[in-house]
Amino acid sequence: MGYGLLIPVAVIVFVIIGVPFINSIYLSFTNKVVGVDPKFIGFGNYAHIFSDPEYWKVLKNTVYFTVGSVSFKLVIGLLLAVVVNQAFFGRGFVRAILLVPWALSGMVSAITWRWMYDDTYGIVNALLMRWHVISLPIAWTSDPSIALISVIIVNIWKGLPFYIFSFLGGLQTIDSQMYEAATIDGAGKIRQFFSITIPSISTVISITVLLSTIWTFNSFEIVYLITGGGPLHASAIISTYTYEVAFLQNQMGQSLAVAGSVIPILVLLIVFSMRKLGKDD
Amino acid sequence: MILSTRMKIRKYAVLYGVSVIAVIWTLFPIYWLVKSSLTPNRLMYTPKPKLLSEQWTFSHYQELFHETAFMGFMKNSMYVAVLVTVISVVISVLASYSLTRLRFVGRGFMMKSIIYTYLLPVAVLFIPMYVTISRYGLNDNKNALLFVYPTIVVPYCCYMLISYFKAIPKEMEEAALIDGCSRLQTLTKIIIPIASPGIAVVSTFAFTLSWNEYLYALVLTTSPSQQTVTIGIASFNFGDQTIWGLLTSSSVIASIPAVVLYFLAQRFLKSGLAAGGVK
Repeated sequence: MGYGLLIPVAVIVFVIIGVPFINSIYLSFTNKVVGVDPKFIGFGNYAHIFSDPEYWKVLKNTVYFTVGSVSFKLVIGLLLAVVVNQAFFGRGFVRAILLVPWALSGMVSAITWRWMYDDTYGIVNALLMRWHVISLPIAWTSDPSIALISVIIVNIWKGLPFYIFSFLGGLQTIDSQMYEAATIDGAGKIRQFFSITIPSISTVISITVLLSTIWTFNSFEIVYLITGGGPLHASAIISTYTYEVAFLQNQMGQSLAVAGSVIPILVLLIVFSMRKLGKDD
Repeated sequence: MILSTRMKIRKYAVLYGVSVIAVIWTLFPIYWLVKSSLTPNRLMYTPKPKLLSEQWTFSHYQELFHETAFMGFMKNSMYVAVLVTVISVVISVLASYSLTRLRFVGRGFMMKSIIYTYLLPVAVLFIPMYVTISRYGLNDNKNALLFVYPTIVVPYCCYMLISYFKAIPKEMEEAALIDGCSRLQTLTKIIIPIASPGIAVVSTFAFTLSWNEYLYALVLTTSPSQQTVTIGIASFNFGDQTIWGLLTSSSVIASIPAVVLYFLAQRFLKSGLAAGGVK
């Protein structure tokens, strides 16, 4: 009976995901293009992408995008979780509001921000100019030195709720007597934060950061819909580049090699996460 | 005493200061989305947009409902999200029951496989899935999503349900088993009723995941009759200079189901990782 109840899940995990996954690793060693039978070409696709400077540019962007987004989400998320964990009037309201971007789709978030970033009619430039922060409009989505920062900001906006929510769960398990004892011993708030709060929720922090790193590394629609990865790949990340190579350049085999080339990084992250999740049980 | 009052004031000043900034940062884009969807073109396409509109209009919504395929996208999304939620939650309840309550060889392996799958990102899988789905002639068919979305939703549901089921004491079931209940009856009469708040939350997230999914829908559906709302909206012609009324109004409508569910589910939500993890 134990097995019987598991059959549907086993089909999903081992057939619906497993078969394409294994097949794709094979296809990444072929010259597959749409509508044509694949021919085995060994490491040709990998050699091709590794010798392409665009690939390395995109990989570097992906790392900047991930590290930038995750570190801001971590610091701001921790701060906000500590704040909404305090007792004050209106706390429930603030908590509920802070989590709303979570329920919105990546598509809606991207459309909203793309409109706010608009060169000519966008509210971001309008406000910054009204407040005299800038004197000329910023090309948020088309300036090569800004585009990546623009999409990082949106990723932070969309991703913060997950951090606040996880950290809040961790903070609620801390015994308040520890803080009382520390106060009596003369430890200040900042000292308490680093000596009690952080160590008490370190497992929650590392799981949150690991999961979020995996998802951020692979996020797609925010970049795809706001900048399209441009200009000139200035904000392209691995997922949008994979899409581009597959559907705009029509090189299926090569796109599979692009996606496959980051699997070692992901496996590493997943193995770390598994260890932490195992400990959590 | 004076000192402690002063410290209290400072504490609340910090708490409210940070809260106000955070709330504005979170809500402003949403406000701007809704506000733009109700602003006439004349006031929208100006280099100095006003924070508060002095004139409102429903014309973008009228255009959206009467002159675009938007309602078709919404129907497709509803069809896919509801079916995927039902299928996935049923599959996951059965599997999670088996994994937490029955003992058999390979249980640990299965549990690990599910979590690995949960962590495996769509960005790695979407091309392989596209190749496979095309081979079976299911591309450009919304029903393909009924096979594909459970690969995201089921591992996530199992991951959450396992922790809910683990928290239910075994003694209650053992008593029922002694009284002559079958295994299946203990599931339907004891576990499911007790875990129902958890199942409600999981269903909410399952629906939200399917409703908001983008990448698979992008590569697996191409004609408007098959597209879900996330793809349909983004396929409105960006080249058109005055497209933003349509884009913002359709985004508002498309967000309603998931946001309403989120607020309904909130009273069941307990903070923490067990309930977290929606991508």
